[in-house]
Amino acid sequence: MTNKLPILLVENDPVDIMSVQRSLEENNVLNDLSVVGNGEEGLAFLRKENPYSAAFRPGLILLDLQMPRMNGLEFLKIVKSDDQLKRIPVVVLTTSQEESDRFESFDLGVAGYIIKPVDFHKFVDVVRVIRLYWTLSEQSPN
Amino acid sequence: MNDIRKTKARLIEEHEKLQIEIAEHKRAENALRESQSHLQGILLASVDPIITIDERGTIATVNPATTQIFGFEAIELVGQNVKLIMPEPFHSEHDGYLDQYLKTGEKHIIGIGREVIGRRKDGTVFPLHLAVSEMRIEDRRFFCGIIRDISDLKRVELELRQKTEQLEAANAELQDFAYVVSHDLKAPLRGINMLADWIATDNADALSAEGQENLVLLKKRTRRMDLLIDGILKYSRIGRQALKLEQIDSHTLVRETIDALAAPQNISILIVDSLPLVEYDVVHLLQVFQNLIGNAVQHLGKPSGEVLVSCCDVGNFWEFSVRDNGIGIEEKYLKQIFKIFETLSKPGESQSTGIGLALVKKIVEQHGGTVRVKSVPEEGSEFIFTIRKQERPT
Repeated sequence: MTNKLPILLVENDPVDIMSVQRSLEENNVLNDLSVVGNGEEGLAFLRKENPYSAAFRPGLILLDLQMPRMNGLEFLKIVKSDDQLKRIPVVVLTTSQEESDRFESFDLGVAGYIIKPVDFHKFVDVVRVIRLYWTLSEQSPN
Repeated sequence: MNDIRKTKARLIEEHEKLQIEIAEHKRAENALRESQSHLQGILLASVDPIITIDERGTIATVNPATTQIFGFEAIELVGQNVKLIMPEPFHSEHDGYLDQYLKTGEKHIIGIGREVIGRRKDGTVFPLHLAVSEMRIEDRRFFCGIIRDISDLKRVELELRQKTEQLEAANAELQDFAYVVSHDLKAPLRGINMLADWIATDNADALSAEGQENLVLLKKRTRRMDLLIDGILKYSRIGRQALKLEQIDSHTLVRETIDALAAPQNISILIVDSLPLVEYDVVHLLQVFQNLIGNAVQHLGKPSGEVLVSCCDVGNFWEFSVRDNGIGIEEKYLKQIFKIFETLSKPGESQSTGIGLALVKKIVEQHGGTVRVKSVPEEGSEFIFTIRKQERPT
């Protein structure tokens, strides 16, 4: 990514978290990666509430849809209706191939919707494409 | 003398005329009686009650079926107002309906027919279909009602509606189930695959050749499971999702499928006839040809061979054939290969999930066709499936 802003990963599966971390490494992405396990924690992070009072505003949010407590779509709805937060680009990274999830995500204004591949090397390709795109795209205004 | 003869002649003439008149009258009377008997016979024989009423709603005539259906004897009905056989609200409203029609001439039931409720002598009610017509006899106006008891029809309708609701509920549940199952199964699968990959990469030096080989096998198995889950999900979707029918040029579709398959040099795939325009769901048609032609290529079992795609017109259907000259399938296996998860190859030998043919069968049948297989070991196999022709002219 051109900027040095942190990336927020909203994901609860430990292996999927490792996949993202390793893929970012494989792609030489040096931005900080912060991880939260569900939508509620994600909101707390974005709003700099305890225990995330020292958090930096992320330049990109990678969002899983299937999570406990508050799931991805609920989180997305809240973030996109918050004037302070809605400009942060969100890329959905999910297993769900359900059309309805895809429609709703784009209706809520996600920047991308990616199905998590089973194969790690494909995952690395996915992250490379995301990095390429953000290298070319102008930064979202703060 | 002449006068008497003249008178006599005239009398004879008159007499003859009278005879003819009387004969004609008798003929007319007979014809009338026959006609009446015939009409009466219709009324008597009718299984449906036929009731006539005058402008005020007073019953003029009924037929035996009226007693049969309503329980009232004819004498209990004739002369009474027809609302006797109507429960509320019709009972109170009928006078109003008649008035309205007599005043405005607007037909709400005459010539149209309607489903209403009738009341029997014992007080029980039942649904019926009522057809009303108007007739004039000299200067008087009558209405004729023909009644059909539709209790059975209504009962069957209700059962059908209930069964449909049950089916729709079960279907919705199955849809959720299939989705949840496939998603919940894929998550740990992804974890296993990723971890195997990282173990192999991070410990490449420490792992023996055998260890690395085992991890490769492990990843192949997870890949297979991934395909199986996708296959199950696809299979369960057929029949639950509405078909998106469109006109498809099957020749172009098969051509594209063959190109995409990129079969090895030693296997040639040819389209023998000109394939027709069909009405199908394009995703399904692609799936059928991909599976059948792909199978033929994959399971050829010989160093070289050919796959032929053809089609012939069999009246109401198009009959498509995918034939290969591979090693064929033994007679005893022909029935089971269409079953889900049945594959004749050994595990790990191929990527065959055993769902392909089951999927083909389900798709073909959902579109109203049939699929069958013919095979001679060592000589080859032929898969034949039918597509219904459109009903409307092109």
